[in-house]
Amino acid sequence: MPEVHDRPLGVIVCAADPAALDRLVPPGHGARVLRVAPDEVLAVVAPDFADDVRRELADRVAALDHDALVLDVSDGWAAIALVGDDAERALSYLSALEAPAADGFAQGDVARVAAKILREPDGLVLLVPAYWRDHVRTRAIEDAGAVEARA
Amino acid sequence: MPSLRLDGRRVEIHDGDTVAAAAFRAGVRTFTRSLKAHRRRGLYCGTGDCANCLVTVDGLPGERACVTPARDGMRVERETGWPSAERDALAINDRLHRFMPVGFYYKVFARPRWLWPVAERVIRRATGTGTLPPDAPTRRTPTRFVRVRTLVIGGGVAGLAAAATAAGEGSVVLADEAAPGARATDPAARDAIARLTAEARAAGAEILEQHAAIGIYEGPAAALLGPDELVEVEAEHVIVATGALEAHGVFPGNDLPGVWLGRGAARMTAIHGVTIGERVVVVANTEEGAHLSEALRATGATVTLVTGRVLEARGTRQVSSVTVLTPEGRRAFACDALVLSLGWAPRDTLLRMTAEPEVVGAGDVVRPGSTLAEAEASGRAAARGQADQPTEATSWPIAEHDGYVCVCEDVSMHDLERAWDEGWTSSEILKRYTTATMGPCQGALCSRHLAEHARAKGAAPAARGRTTARPPVRAPRLGDLIGGVHEQVERRTALHDRHVAAGARMDHSGVWLRPGTYGDVGEEIRVVRERVSVMDVSTLGKFLVAGVDARTLLDQVFPLDVGAIAPGRARYLLALDEAGYVMDDGLLAALGDGSYFLTSTSGGADRMEAWLRNWIDRLDLHVHLVNQTAQLGAINVAGPNARDLLATLTDDDLSRAAIPYPGHADIVVAGVPCRAIAVGFVGELSYELHHPRGRSEGLWDALLAAGEPWDIRPHGLDALDVLRLEKGHVYLAQDTMPDDHPAKLGLRWAVASQKETFVGKRALERMDALPLERRLVGLRFDGAPQRGHPLAVDGAIVGRITSCAVSEAAGGPVGLGWVRAVDGAFPDQLTAGAVTATVSPTPFYDPEGMRLRA
Amino acid sequence: MSVLVTCPTCGRRPFTEFSFGGELRDIASPDTASDFERVYLHDNAAGPQRERWFHLLGCRRWVTLTRDTGTNRVEA
Repeated sequence: MPEVHDRPLGVIVCAADPAALDRLVPPGHGARVLRVAPDEVLAVVAPDFADDVRRELADRVAALDHDALVLDVSDGWAAIALVGDDAERALSYLSALEAPAADGFAQGDVARVAAKILREPDGLVLLVPAYWRDHVRTRAIEDAGAVEARA
Repeated sequence: MPSLRLDGRRVEIHDGDTVAAAAFRAGVRTFTRSLKAHRRRGLYCGTGDCANCLVTVDGLPGERACVTPARDGMRVERETGWPSAERDALAINDRLHRFMPVGFYYKVFARPRWLWPVAERVIRRATGTGTLPPDAPTRRTPTRFVRVRTLVIGGGVAGLAAAATAAGEGSVVLADEAAPGARATDPAARDAIARLTAEARAAGAEILEQHAAIGIYEGPAAALLGPDELVEVEAEHVIVATGALEAHGVFPGNDLPGVWLGRGAARMTAIHGVTIGERVVVVANTEEGAHLSEALRATGATVTLVTGRVLEARGTRQVSSVTVLTPEGRRAFACDALVLSLGWAPRDTLLRMTAEPEVVGAGDVVRPGSTLAEAEASGRAAARGQADQPTEATSWPIAEHDGYVCVCEDVSMHDLERAWDEGWTSSEILKRYTTATMGPCQGALCSRHLAEHARAKGAAPAARGRTTARPPVRAPRLGDLIGGVHEQVERRTALHDRHVAAGARMDHSGVWLRPGTYGDVGEEIRVVRERVSVMDVSTLGKFLVAGVDARTLLDQVFPLDVGAIAPGRARYLLALDEAGYVMDDGLLAALGDGSYFLTSTSGGADRMEAWLRNWIDRLDLHVHLVNQTAQLGAINVAGPNARDLLATLTDDDLSRAAIPYPGHADIVVAGVPCRAIAVGFVGELSYELHHPRGRSEGLWDALLAAGEPWDIRPHGLDALDVLRLEKGHVYLAQDTMPDDHPAKLGLRWAVASQKETFVGKRALERMDALPLERRLVGLRFDGAPQRGHPLAVDGAIVGRITSCAVSEAAGGPVGLGWVRAVDGAFPDQLTAGAVTATVSPTPFYDPEGMRLRA
Repeated sequence: MSVLVTCPTCGRRPFTEFSFGGELRDIASPDTASDFERVYLHDNAAGPQRERWFHLLGCRRWVTLTRDTGTNRVEA
């Protein structure tokens, strides 16, 4: 049974022209870039680097689209990690989505809410708007058999 | 020796027994009593298709004894017949049957009118099968999602062959309803199944045992019900290999215990080693039926094999003789078991649920009576995209003038004839009038007979089809169906724990969980009007609208004059749809760098985002829209001392010059960066502080601590309802209806009609030219009003109270309500029951708005 | 269970992830009379229909596609 953890993450949104986003060089610091829509990218990174990533993104995208918007939206997202080998099986109780490949992401209905699914070395991460955090945790425990992480 | 208890009596269980096998071996012949006539019913199909053997197992009713594996310690009860299935007092109904033709209760008990409810109660108690145990544990079955290339339904030879072949092309899941080892009735079949199972597994097919497909849906998709889970499968291809059962024989006496369908008799004999009788007559018009007589002889029974048409079976508690019209003429036989193999009825319900070309059949379900080799070939062909098409039986066993057609519902041929004569002349209507096919077996036995009857009567093609097949194939438990569905999806603000700790009653407000009250609504109202209070309004929809076309977008979509909002200012915003109706409301604030901050109602955030993104797309505008609903918390600090309180937590300028009404400014409160918006919803001096969600708890705690000198306390939704009502503010969906344009709500002032274009403008122009037939008005009452109560003039209802409260601040009971025009004019005096309502201008409290502009 | 809608960003998804936006229609009318028709009188075709769908649980963008109202098949 997988464990369910809160995994604090930095999330930066970059809204710009699709053509600019196509050519955007990903920022560093281990950030993962999710192209959630043609005109929107979410960069997900460890919280300590959120500010650096924001600045990097803002500099890079300004050269491609002077009207682009870059904003730290970390507060708006909650990341719930399902840790363990059976994280994928747990996901099958929450969603009809397939777990993504290692560096990709999936987005769609997880436990009836809008979520992005990321694969991590130790399992899966469900990224949802922050107000869904408790709902997703509860569903992971009650429906998918996950257990609270021991302190 | 393992055993179960049947009606309290101990019954031995042999290895591999089903409940039916163990019971039959122990001498049980009557398993149920029929629905209306309370006739004895025994094992018939033996394959889980009919409803003759439904029993209660360990407290749960409706279990099919013939497919339920027997377990040591099981408690089995027959669930029909009173006081028992053996001695049923209502067996008298059978003798009175000719006084109870189909539909009689609609005619006989209709008058006098008081008789029907009485009759209905009696009838209900006398019919039905099984009782739900009031103390059964609630069960919520987990739901699992599976995506697969090929789903195979049915674990016989055809299904396994299909799975083995399809596994070469991609992922395969095979759902097999049967319990392990419950299929093969001869060594050749056993070997084939073992061989194909190994092949399928080796090829990577996943086999889900004891998982029954209860429906096929668009996609194609299927729902599989297993012992402990519901599996929702999305597949690119579905192969239905559910096999066939023998055609149901219809003749007088066809429902007597001791009458068997061939495959059921074969299972009982070959798998369970049970002798079904000593003098057995087999009426076989199929090859398989002919072979069956050999297996029966091997049990030591005297077996007579004939072909032809069964004319009649006779017996009292069970069958004792049968008359058959053979090629040599009428023949009568004494027997204690009658086995029928008159033709084939493919189990095609799942196939008939869908017209999608990706759903195909294989094996007996499309080629009934296949040999093992033919079934295997059919399965493999289906997996290769060359599925056999269904063939209908070329000859269907002719039903005699009488006999039970729908065994579940006690509908005889005679009933069908009579109903037809009464004018119910199509198979669908006949079904609904007689209830044929509506019993637990859902037409597995009789749907073809019903269609055939209509055809024989000369019905037009449209009126003689088989009745529509719909999910579920068989009745699942509610606990199985709701697996994966939950009462609520719940959104929580960052202050949830604070509210709970303060003793708030948390309410579901749409998808949000919000505090209704912290214990004393009256006190909460007072603290807002007289001192200072805080409210968690983090649920509001919040949006950043930026980009070169931000102002253009807002101007084209909303009816307000966006250009007139100077930086630092805000305006009340109405969102209209293309029909000019009010969809939502909120606030629009100009941020000064060309971007805007927009708020919507808590329930309208998703719709607002969809709405704006639609117009960005259709108008092809360069706009960056960020939904900040989750990202920002919001706390409303409201009351005459609001400014004084905030002044203790900030050095920023809070005067009207710095934060105009309506307007906003960025300030820092207790170290938390906030956008402070001056709002007027509750009618007191208010600062709605929008801040990063992560800082909510700190800000809330600081405000409550700093507010102690004013005896601060928070207020919830109940207090808010009264506060806004006192100001005459509308609650969308409570005071409004989906087709309200602004004039009906008294909100015409929020529309800048002089604007050249905005969404809904033309619709408003059109409606402005029409007389207003309904208006939302303020009301004062001379007594306690009730929300939802109709409003009347001279006894005629002309409206309804939509909101009301007894208000200290407003000096009495006030409310809002709908009033229709009467003879072109709106009445100003109405009655709501014993209470008089007078139309009054709003706001009821502080009409000049001095308090909130302080 | 699944009418499948194709989202250009997210792929083929069950319709339950979407909000239905109705028949595709013009965004404006030249005059008040034709506006009534545009807003209220829909073609309601039996067969292929151009429609608007919003991917509420996914990318949260709109897609215009063709769905056959008789078979519920959505063109890829």
